[in-house]
Amino acid sequence: MQNASRVVSALKEMRVTMKIRTLFVASLLAASVSGCKLVKTVDASSAAADPIAETVETTFDAKLVPALKEKAVDIVALQDAIKAGLDKAGESHGVRVGGAGGGWNFPVKGSATVVDENRASKAATADIDVDGDGKADATLQLGPVVKGTALRDTTNLYDFSTFRDQIEYARLGRALNDKAISKLPSADTPLKGKKVNFLGAVVIRSAGEKPLIMPVSIEVAP
Amino acid sequence: MKLTKRLLMSVVALGIAGAVSGTAFAADTIAIITPSHDNPFFKAEADGAAAKAKELGYATMVLVHDDDANKQNELFDNAIAAGVKAIILDNAGADASVAAVKKAKDKGIPSFLIDREITTTGVAVSQIVSNNYQGAQLGAEEFVKLMGEKGNYAELVGKESDTNAGIRSQGYHDVIDQYSDLKSVAKQTANWSQTEAYTVMESILQAHPDIKGVISGNDTMAMGAYAALEAAGRKDVIVVGFDGSNDVRDSIKKGGIKATVLQPAYQQAQNAVVQADKFIKTGKTGLEEKQLMDCILINAANASKLETFALKP
Repeated sequence: MQNASRVVSALKEMRVTMKIRTLFVASLLAASVSGCKLVKTVDASSAAADPIAETVETTFDAKLVPALKEKAVDIVALQDAIKAGLDKAGESHGVRVGGAGGGWNFPVKGSATVVDENRASKAATADIDVDGDGKADATLQLGPVVKGTALRDTTNLYDFSTFRDQIEYARLGRALNDKAISKLPSADTPLKGKKVNFLGAVVIRSAGEKPLIMPVSIEVAP
Repeated sequence: MKLTKRLLMSVVALGIAGAVSGTAFAADTIAIITPSHDNPFFKAEADGAAAKAKELGYATMVLVHDDDANKQNELFDNAIAAGVKAIILDNAGADASVAAVKKAKDKGIPSFLIDREITTTGVAVSQIVSNNYQGAQLGAEEFVKLMGEKGNYAELVGKESDTNAGIRSQGYHDVIDQYSDLKSVAKQTANWSQTEAYTVMESILQAHPDIKGVISGNDTMAMGAYAALEAAGRKDVIVVGFDGSNDVRDSIKKGGIKATVLQPAYQQAQNAVVQADKFIKTGKTGLEEKQLMDCILINAANASKLETFALKP
């Protein structure tokens, strides 16, 4: 049995090698005829071969952002709902993953004032005041290091069952975070003291915790 | 040898029970197949599953495959021959186990996987696994903090055929690699084994006496590594594990190992039996095949609440 699967994988490998070789020969031919750079061909084929990158490219703007926008709950309303009971808030606005130990994932939006910004850490953050009392009541993640997989888990777009294993599924979580970070204001745009509008996702595990939001957009209000 | 005997006896016992009492009294049986109970994690799984099965009125057939895919295959043959209604499985290899699970499925016996995944979907009814990536990130964040964000460290990796070994290592590195002052000087497998980890740790210490920390893919390897460090008079080295075993809990309470990550193994096994029961009765579980359960960081602050892979309230 094991031998059989070994043979199959060896065959697969051969096929892949042959394919690569064909591609290589073809691109060499193309290069000699048209003067195209070989490097480009290789880049394009390796990008297409990564299903995770492709999933992110085809779904992030087209599906994930619209889905979050459609279902997003205003942060102030969400915090009130959580105060009244996390499970109840989750059942009406959220998605639960991770079983009993896991939290509720919420799509969230809001406008807030940035009261503090920490860019020194690689896991950069902005503390925001959402109710106008001058105190921070939630945090926006700015990356490049991001905690959690809220963007992956908040909609029903990405089903674990359709991925080969946890490694692939984790790579998707990280790739979505990276994509989102690339769309957020960089360190060149200081946010402290500014009013911002944001859209994102957050996982809440206990009613008392300060929401650590992973945004897909942060717009500085004029 | 001991196992084969035990297994034979239970099969014989089943046969007798069936013959004597007839269908009216013969309870349906659920097979529970895991790696060796030498590792308390797998024992907790088997105990959790067996307790829930009993509670729901099933007889159980508890077997161990010792991480040997061939042996697992034989156990499946035995379980199929015994006419079990469902199989709860912590498998012996992500690729190698697919055929066994499929064989049972073809005979109309559904499998419910816990702890470890297989690389194919649509063969098992459920695959309930810990969110190892999330857990590994928790462990790594704590490790980074304990290390003061700098210093040389070693990593002990689990068995290569197990997806969990790779995913935990990836979770560790996705966090640790962001800190350029933390340097990996050794990354070696100890195959989830305590004794192997002891030997590996001894040789790492010889080659790299300047290490400040060890991050381990599971608790048994963390225990082995800590024993080697203790024997070498290097209790200053920070050790972080993964699983949430009572052994590591006790070590944390004594200031030995510094942290671990709890996988809800007991609950996970119970969930699998509940889903199996529902599937036996209704033909479906109503849930996705692949399900993740979140892990919880354990350190000196909450170690006292940990008991047999569950947190007391």
